[in-house]
Amino acid sequence: MTAFYTGTDHFAVLPALLLALFGCAVLLFEFVLPVGMASRRALAALTLAGEGFTAYSLYRQHSYLSSQGWPALTAFQGAVTIDGLALAFNWMFLAAAGLAALISYRYLETEGEHSGEYYGLLLFAQFGMFFLASGTDLIVQFTGLETMALSFYVLVGFLRGRRRSNEAALKYFVLGVLSSGLILYGFSVLYGISGSTKLSAVAGAVAGRGAGDPLIWLAVATLGAGLFFKIAAAPFHMWAPDAYDGGPTPVVAYLSVASKAAAFVLLLRLFLGPLAAAREAWQGLTVMVALASLAVGTIAALSQDNVKRLLAYSSIAHGGYVLLGLVAGNARGLQGIVVYLLTYVFMNTGAFLVLVLLRRGEAEGNHIDDLSGLMRRSPAAAVLMLLFLLSLGGLPPSSGFIAKYYIFLALVESGHYALAAVGAIFAAAGLYYYFRLVKTMFGGRELAGEPLAASMGTRVAMVSTAVVTLGLGLYPEPLLQLALLPVKP
Amino acid sequence: MEGRLLSLILLTPLAGVLLLLLTPGGNRRLIKLMANLAGVAGFLVTIPLMMNFKAGTRGYQFTERLPWIPSLGVEYALGVDGISLLLVALTALAGALAILCSWGAVEERLKEFYALLLLQQAGMMGVFLATDFFLFYFCWELVLIPMYFIIGMWGGERRLYAAIKFVLYTVLGSVLMLLGILALYWQHFQQTGIYSFDIVKLMQVTLPPGTEHWIFWAFFIGFAIKVPMFPFHTWLPDAHVEAPTAGSVILAAVLLKMGTYGFVRFSLPLLPNASADRTVVRVIAVLSLIAILYGALVSLMQKDWKRLVAYSSVSHMGFCTLGIFALNHAGIAGSALQQVNHGISTSMLFLLVGIIYERRHTREIAQYGGLAHAMPGFAKVFAFAVFSSAGLPLLNGFIGEFTILQGVFAANRTWAAFAVMGVVLGAAYLLWLYQRTMLGAVTREENRGVADLTPREWLTFLPLMAWALWIGLYPKPFFDVLDAPVRAILERVAVR
Amino acid sequence: MPDGYLPIFVFLPVAILFPVVTLFVAKLVRPSQPTPSKLGAYECGIEPASNSRGRYTVRYYIVAILFVVFDVETVFLYPWAVRYKQLGWFGVAEVAVFLAILIVGYVWAYKKGAFEWV
Repeated sequence: MTAFYTGTDHFAVLPALLLALFGCAVLLFEFVLPVGMASRRALAALTLAGEGFTAYSLYRQHSYLSSQGWPALTAFQGAVTIDGLALAFNWMFLAAAGLAALISYRYLETEGEHSGEYYGLLLFAQFGMFFLASGTDLIVQFTGLETMALSFYVLVGFLRGRRRSNEAALKYFVLGVLSSGLILYGFSVLYGISGSTKLSAVAGAVAGRGAGDPLIWLAVATLGAGLFFKIAAAPFHMWAPDAYDGGPTPVVAYLSVASKAAAFVLLLRLFLGPLAAAREAWQGLTVMVALASLAVGTIAALSQDNVKRLLAYSSIAHGGYVLLGLVAGNARGLQGIVVYLLTYVFMNTGAFLVLVLLRRGEAEGNHIDDLSGLMRRSPAAAVLMLLFLLSLGGLPPSSGFIAKYYIFLALVESGHYALAAVGAIFAAAGLYYYFRLVKTMFGGRELAGEPLAASMGTRVAMVSTAVVTLGLGLYPEPLLQLALLPVKP
Repeated sequence: MEGRLLSLILLTPLAGVLLLLLTPGGNRRLIKLMANLAGVAGFLVTIPLMMNFKAGTRGYQFTERLPWIPSLGVEYALGVDGISLLLVALTALAGALAILCSWGAVEERLKEFYALLLLQQAGMMGVFLATDFFLFYFCWELVLIPMYFIIGMWGGERRLYAAIKFVLYTVLGSVLMLLGILALYWQHFQQTGIYSFDIVKLMQVTLPPGTEHWIFWAFFIGFAIKVPMFPFHTWLPDAHVEAPTAGSVILAAVLLKMGTYGFVRFSLPLLPNASADRTVVRVIAVLSLIAILYGALVSLMQKDWKRLVAYSSVSHMGFCTLGIFALNHAGIAGSALQQVNHGISTSMLFLLVGIIYERRHTREIAQYGGLAHAMPGFAKVFAFAVFSSAGLPLLNGFIGEFTILQGVFAANRTWAAFAVMGVVLGAAYLLWLYQRTMLGAVTREENRGVADLTPREWLTFLPLMAWALWIGLYPKPFFDVLDAPVRAILERVAVR
Repeated sequence: MPDGYLPIFVFLPVAILFPVVTLFVAKLVRPSQPTPSKLGAYECGIEPASNSRGRYTVRYYIVAILFVVFDVETVFLYPWAVRYKQLGWFGVAEVAVFLAILIVGYVWAYKKGAFEWV
């Protein structure tokens, strides 16, 4: 009889265990705290402590794998695999969740919704993502996906008093459940053709059937549709602007970077894993979706007056770039995806962070006019926002440039010159709407109102996102080393 | 210090930015002084470069090399040859003068303004000093942001429109150029197995003809928008007219040169077959001629003083591109020198417009007339600038245009004939401008009491005038400096 | 493999036909005498007091959800009980973790006041 829970198993899932443990702890911790908003900050502290422990356990995995020359560490009879890909994405999720926790408490106090389950859900979502990144079994992956998605449904609707938040949550929920169903259907087809839920076994079955098989097409179509929903790639993007607009801003920051990255890692595990043999089946589909995302995201963002909606459309376009990395399909493309998503974590969270700052008293801080004259009101916030917008636009000296650079390089290396040119043109066009914000911040009339006051956590988050965004733009070598992980032998 | 001279040149403006940020905000005079100090320092550090540069030596001098992004083969690699030397000198001078000329013109958000000017200067230096294609591109894009703000925050009424137009045009060109760079880089890797952006190494790539043409056109769009060549020029008049004087000076003197520099430094040596292709040359020559004649004709029609000077840039830059694609020694050397000449004379013209605008707050030519009575000093400098720009013998413009025409004549007589018409038209619109604004009786009362040039303003013109005279009277040192790099380019282009 | 599905293929038409046939036969043999009370909604045999689509308090849902959670819990406990011997201490630990998670949820729901009927 096989051992049920070996030391390796424990070592592999320890980060997830810690996340779950701290998630449960933070749920109950609220009840031992004294009454009052200020004391609830301890919840954020406990969450961050959990992230710290998780970081340490990830670091131990990292150094272990690095000392062994990057083998793939399998646990639970192949259901969980810790490899470079899993680690690179787990670092991403950790950064995103940590930043979200840092910027949340002031926002929640302003909204009067400060409670333990918020942080608990934050951690549970990350728990789900862990299994998306490291699961190599269809059941594990689906469970991870649902754990993440359910947490996000609640988080998006967390502002119970706001109609927009409720509407956003409902839309996100209905469409999200539909996409989960599609993914599950795809999984069932994969299980049907292979008789196993292990990705390694599925790979053999797929390779045996070849790309022309109708069942493979069915699996690719349903999995693709479901995952493109989660990524918010056009034409499956309809939920994103509403969910971004209505959800609490820190949650949206977390959702836009982490949930996207988590869906991407599942896509990579499937499409570059068992379905790599059926490349012809998904290549064309991915190209179309990527181009549609670029077009829809860029064009729709041009006319948005709500900054959160604008960032939602921009995030759709960014999803398109990342998909282009998948289209390239070579090692460089995979690196490009990691580089892109990792920089995106910091630059996009940074941009939302400035919006969190603007959420003061009655001012919602989402309209483009709320940014007006920010340069005079708070020069530091304006300059940081400029940096994040430049990075989102892909201009040096920010890390966003390196990210776009990698995607283009991957496309050139794989001979997709035309796609690269289209991507480049959309990148230039995208600058228009980012610069619309820049124009408002630096040129607009100054708004009256209290000066922005940043909480300690927001300050730390601002400085760290800015340092990473600028630092990785000027000296990207560490980032590129991290991005090499998924392609290590 | 010797081994790190180029880094010093690159970093001095950045040190100036830091210095400015540390200066307390309240004291306006101190900020201005600090900015000027940084500007002058930026110029002074280029002097040892000029003194120690060895004309006639092949290849790059003062080279520096540090690994920057090893996994991509990107290096922080700097070096100068004759062509970049002149542009570095021009950038240092223009940068210092742009700061000096803003003393009275800019009163809002001084610190940011000067910091952006210095940042811009560092970026431009990087463009001309880089011998690594990635570093070049990095700096090329870096230049964009400060200029956006300089136009967008301190510009005229339609500043935001002009600024975003400038950014979008340039970025569109440069992202396509980036794809060209990446294609070249990838070809190099496939042939040698080494990832490198070193332009000397990239020259060893042998490209399939089709690919080479694609890459050439990708580069072309990037550079042509920057020059700007017809029909990509429409951002230029808007940007120039809306920019504050310092911005116009930097735009005219240095930013446009980045495009022609790109052709000389990258298009010709890296893609010699495509550059020498008959069709390609013909297309570019025709576009250049259109730019020369169209720019001149449009200048004739302008009612706005600054817009006139802006369109004259289109025309003059047409000479530069035409000279480059004459693909002979005189043409390329003439273009390299004409870049500097255009920088000098157009800077003077923009500075003059700026001065008169500060005094009278209008740029409409019809508002002026007989200014020479009130402002004799101004009239003298203006005459000098007009002669320099129109290519009067003994001044710099003549040397540049003449050499270019010599080269173009050797390449194709028809082109030369059209180009000469451009010279004539150039003299026409400039002299007519002079006549309308300076000569004759004073037509408006407001123009009677206009103050003449102040000593500080004289100070901005003197170095430019001296340099213009030097080139006009004794251009030999400049041609000596240009000789070796131009020969090297011609060897590449003539290889086939 | 297909023979394993044979019962399903037999069962499927039967399952479809049975309700169709019974309804059809019932329609043939029954007398048809509609009266208002026969057409009305059935509420324990008394007259309907109001529209059956009326709104009722959201707390019913909360109770229902809590019921489902703990109902499913028992579903998971059954297989464990069946294989108790074979699973040994590992099974005990596993179920303890499972119950601990549910208890955390229970405590949380209790403290949040989910069981209070206001």
